[in-house]
Amino acid sequence: MEIVVTNESDVAVFAITGRLDAVSVPQLEERLNQWFEQPGKKLIFDLEGLDYISSAGLRVFLTTAKKMKARDGKLCMARLRDNVKDVFTISGFIALIPAFDTLGAAQDAVK
Amino acid sequence: MIVKKMPARVESLHELLTFIRAEAKKRGFSDSALNRIELVAEEALVNVFVHGYAGTQGQVEVHCLVSDDPALTIEVHDKGVAFDPLSLADPDVQADLTQRKIGGMGVFFIRKMTDRVAYRREGNRNILSMTFLNR
Repeated sequence: MEIVVTNESDVAVFAITGRLDAVSVPQLEERLNQWFEQPGKKLIFDLEGLDYISSAGLRVFLTTAKKMKARDGKLCMARLRDNVKDVFTISGFIALIPAFDTLGAAQDAVK
Repeated sequence: MIVKKMPARVESLHELLTFIRAEAKKRGFSDSALNRIELVAEEALVNVFVHGYAGTQGQVEVHCLVSDDPALTIEVHDKGVAFDPLSLADPDVQADLTQRKIGGMGVFFIRKMTDRVAYRREGNRNILSMTFLNR
């Protein structure tokens, strides 16, 4: 798994590629914990390159969504592949974190 | 029957999943079915890694049962404390963000994405048997 974080004005985009599973989750948690030390309120997960997610990955997304809500921030996801979207749908998480087909739409949503 | 045995820890995950995916592929499952089989297998294995041996060292075995029909049955064996993961209640997938609890998703995926799933205790072994039909 690879994570590239970019900041455009006050929006942070975490582009996650590869596999988000029990092996790679600690890496994402560490990057997010660093980010949460800052007062940022707008966060997007760009999942165009994400091949695979398991419940270990979902757990991090749920924790992040709860933290963002606690700081009155905005979180959304962009460009989920079909098999990843499948996991979000079955788990009900698709209703908890807004998902958009394009990065532009996600950026508009957090503005 | 084809068996692969490895230490029950997260470092074994990718090798075990590669093995399972290859066995499923031999039976002609579609890519989307392979993704689901891999996900279910991870959930079953991680349960054993995290809970199976309560912090002590142990082994996990994956058995791929060969049969004439196009189904695939995977069994995950461990010698940890007796525990039936299917005894866990499903998470409330309708809950809103405030109410939604962390956890319980792995077993939920196992239930949802298998065609048959059963737990049994044989001697000192926990055995979780998961069957996928090739449609």
